[in-house]
Amino acid sequence: MKLHARLLAFLFVILLVCPVWSAIGNAQEPIVIGIPTSLGFLEGKESLSAVEMAVDEINAAGGVRVGSSKRSFKVESIDLRDAAPGVPVPEALLGLEKIILEKKPAALVVGPFRSEALMAGMDIIAKYKVPLLGTIAMSPGSEKKIKEEPAKYKYVFRTCLNAVHLVKFLAGAMGLINKEFGFNKVYVMHQDVAWARATAELVKSLYFDKNGWTVLGLESYPTGTSDFSSALMKVRSLGAQVIMPIFDMPQSGTLVKQWNAMKVPAILSGFISPLAGSAAWETFDGKIGGATNTIFELGSGIGSGKVPPSKDFFDKYLKKYGKEIQAGHGPAPSYESVYILKEAIERAGSLDPDSIVAELEKTDRIGVLGRVKFDEGHQAVYGFNPQESCVSTVFQWTDSGQRVIVFPETIAEGKIQLPKGLKSLK
Amino acid sequence: MFVGTILYAIINSFILIMMAIGFNLTFGISGVANFAFGALYVLSAYGSWILLNLLKMPYLLSVTISILLTSLFGGLIYRLILLRVRGQALSEVIATFGIGLSILELFSYFGLVGFEYTLPVFIDHSFIIFGTYVDAQRLIIAAVGLVLVSSLWLFTHHTSIGLAFRGIAQDERTALTFGIASDRIATLSVSLGAGLAAVAATIIIPLGSIAPAEGYDVLIKALAVCIIGGLGSSGGVIVAGFVIGFAERFTDTYIGSHWTMIISLTAILLVLVIKPSGLFGKQKELEERI
Repeated sequence: MKLHARLLAFLFVILLVCPVWSAIGNAQEPIVIGIPTSLGFLEGKESLSAVEMAVDEINAAGGVRVGSSKRSFKVESIDLRDAAPGVPVPEALLGLEKIILEKKPAALVVGPFRSEALMAGMDIIAKYKVPLLGTIAMSPGSEKKIKEEPAKYKYVFRTCLNAVHLVKFLAGAMGLINKEFGFNKVYVMHQDVAWARATAELVKSLYFDKNGWTVLGLESYPTGTSDFSSALMKVRSLGAQVIMPIFDMPQSGTLVKQWNAMKVPAILSGFISPLAGSAAWETFDGKIGGATNTIFELGSGIGSGKVPPSKDFFDKYLKKYGKEIQAGHGPAPSYESVYILKEAIERAGSLDPDSIVAELEKTDRIGVLGRVKFDEGHQAVYGFNPQESCVSTVFQWTDSGQRVIVFPETIAEGKIQLPKGLKSLK
Repeated sequence: MFVGTILYAIINSFILIMMAIGFNLTFGISGVANFAFGALYVLSAYGSWILLNLLKMPYLLSVTISILLTSLFGGLIYRLILLRVRGQALSEVIATFGIGLSILELFSYFGLVGFEYTLPVFIDHSFIIFGTYVDAQRLIIAAVGLVLVSSLWLFTHHTSIGLAFRGIAQDERTALTFGIASDRIATLSVSLGAGLAAVAATIIIPLGSIAPAEGYDVLIKALAVCIIGGLGSSGGVIVAGFVIGFAERFTDTYIGSHWTMIISLTAILLVLVIKPSGLFGKQKELEERI
């Protein structure tokens, strides 16, 4: 009898201790952030590094508060390869599903490169109910899907610029060029991918066609194209004053080289990913003076003293990794997304995806990108004032290899200068 | 613009010829369709980049070492792998394609992707020719292309090794009876093909950037030129290079850049339907191929 009583008491203690022990065990288990993206590409590599930097900072500061416990973040990544030419979307989706099933992430950050892969991947994300804070793919098509079926696709958010907001910035820069120099003849060259196509067509229909510009050409180039001589000859013969390129492939640097070598008398103003970072000056042998380029998100590729968190992020990255951020798209929103996620988890008090999504929707945070708030399509709102919204920037390479922010006016450091051989009409 | 298009079409043709001539030479002599050709092109470019930027060697020395190492690597591929499957066309294709995939995917795995991976131009200058600006690097490509094609002709017609190459290409068994070691010559042909890929990379890459995807692109272009010209036919490669080179640039200028690849692929399909062995291909016939 005495033995039975002792045994019962022992079992009672075990039963009491087990849940506590289990809770302690869970408290130490890190929250996994999955990074499924094209890790072989600059934007993917630097976005992953930015996420790791944010995670290190958060963990060093004590981690994430989930209810009453503190937990750390852990990063798991997978290379989707969707940015590489010829890689089919289904192959990228396999990687997306693999990381969800094998690593059990509480949320995904960065996500697919190509909008085609993101759009197709939204069904996988909906199936497993894993929130995604996308920082690369830009087609507004994903927002349309969210608005049409919010219950199903509500898990997808985007903190980077989308094609619609990019249009605002490209149009803004064109407006500035028109105002300063009187130019109104443009030749548009874009990569043949969803976001670039959408951007080019939107700039044409929403800005050029309505503001008296003549679009002398609108040409698409398959990913991997490395000869632009025909288009540049057309630019010269048709008398275009502005070339608006929209490319995110490494080979697009060739366009800048050819623009320079063929001495095309037109200002290059748009987005060419190889032109974004400070290393471009050396890469292109200092022959890019006069070219203007868009940085999709402040903090990616360039920081501004007028938005101190962007400068801090840029400098911290340099200190941690020993080199400056070169990608003009991805790293800053990736870094910021981790903090947005942390705050949403803390407000939700759990890792329940629906609760996290509900809190993500309430995000209102001033940080590296400016002020982050999501619209009903779960797109971070971009505008021209960092106190009111996230901001992109347009900068110009000077002849001495400096990058001067020229747009938007709230953070501009100088005015656009014309490259040699091109004269203002004013 | 018409004259400019012709000018750039000529240069584009030489680029294609440079890309294809090594592949064609190897096939013409050893019968090996070296599907690792594009990967060797990229390997050589990365080699030059590493020697130049990481080991800080002079440019000329970097590219010379890279070309020699790529040639040596080509020879080793033959001696260590292809020799065992020689004569089994499918096995040769699988082996070379596998080697190429491994090389290219290794570069992707190690993250050697980005616009900073490029080589400097030889001469940083532009010239005005018939009212069109052309950079010196493109003129160098055309000049090197001409010199290379002429040198290969002289090599295969006026040197003992070149004559041995032609002997093997015409009839391997008969060549053996004349004391020509077919395995040695085949090794040299794969090595020379790899070296030509490296030379092409050295002069073409400065126009763009080095990326693993370039390997697939170069292989497709080399195959397109060789299929249209006729596998193994040097004359065919030159003619096909000009056909595709002109078709690409004129399509680009007058139809639209996104049609460029379609025009090339359509040309391949048409040639395959009308003359499956290519414009100058004389397979099944005992005629000299180089």
